[in-house]
Amino acid sequence: MRNSLRPLREERGWSQAALADLLGVSRQTVNALETGRYDPSLPLAFRIAALFERPIESLFHPDDVLSGTVGQERG
Amino acid sequence: MTSDLDTARRSAGGRSRATAYLRDFLPGILGYIVVLALVGAFGDLDGETPTRFGWAMLPVVPAVWLGWAVLRHLRRVDEYEQVVLLRGLSVGFAVAMLAAVVLGMLAVAGLDLLIAPWLVFAAGMTSWAVATGILNAR
Repeated sequence: MRNSLRPLREERGWSQAALADLLGVSRQTVNALETGRYDPSLPLAFRIAALFERPIESLFHPDDVLSGTVGQERG
Repeated sequence: MTSDLDTARRSAGGRSRATAYLRDFLPGILGYIVVLALVGAFGDLDGETPTRFGWAMLPVVPAVWLGWAVLRHLRRVDEYEQVVLLRGLSVGFAVAMLAAVVLGMLAVAGLDLLIAPWLVFAAGMTSWAVATGILNAR
């Protein structure tokens, strides 16, 4: 899953450690989220969305699902 | 890509969790060292007295304390750190089981290795530490 955490964080001038403290997680976790190595749980995704005041779907984007085909059979 | 904002500095929460872990872990490891020294000095593990079994079990107390400290840490850290910690633990467990099977089969074949349990312990702990280090460095 891709996400736009890094540009949003940098827009606000926050360090990874500052964002980590705002979310109640470690800096390593923020780094793992930003680099796409870790997809957050739903509760954490909601906390992130609330912090940035954006809907979840504008922050996280599935990178291997064809647009408009979610839940449909391909063929 | 990194920026000036991407320093390796820990978050305040990360620091407090690491401090709490050390506060839990240090008494256990210090206790383990002290107990081992006492057992070595007074335990008479090579002797014939029945009390030597009690002495031999004494280091289990701080070892349980250390396990409790790791469990508390596991409950304290966030979801990503839990994944890393549990992946490291699972690698350690798998390696320890493999080492146990290897040494068990060698024992069946007649190899009398007194330190076999310690080799299992060392294999598990080392692989846990290495796996966790690699996962954290990624």
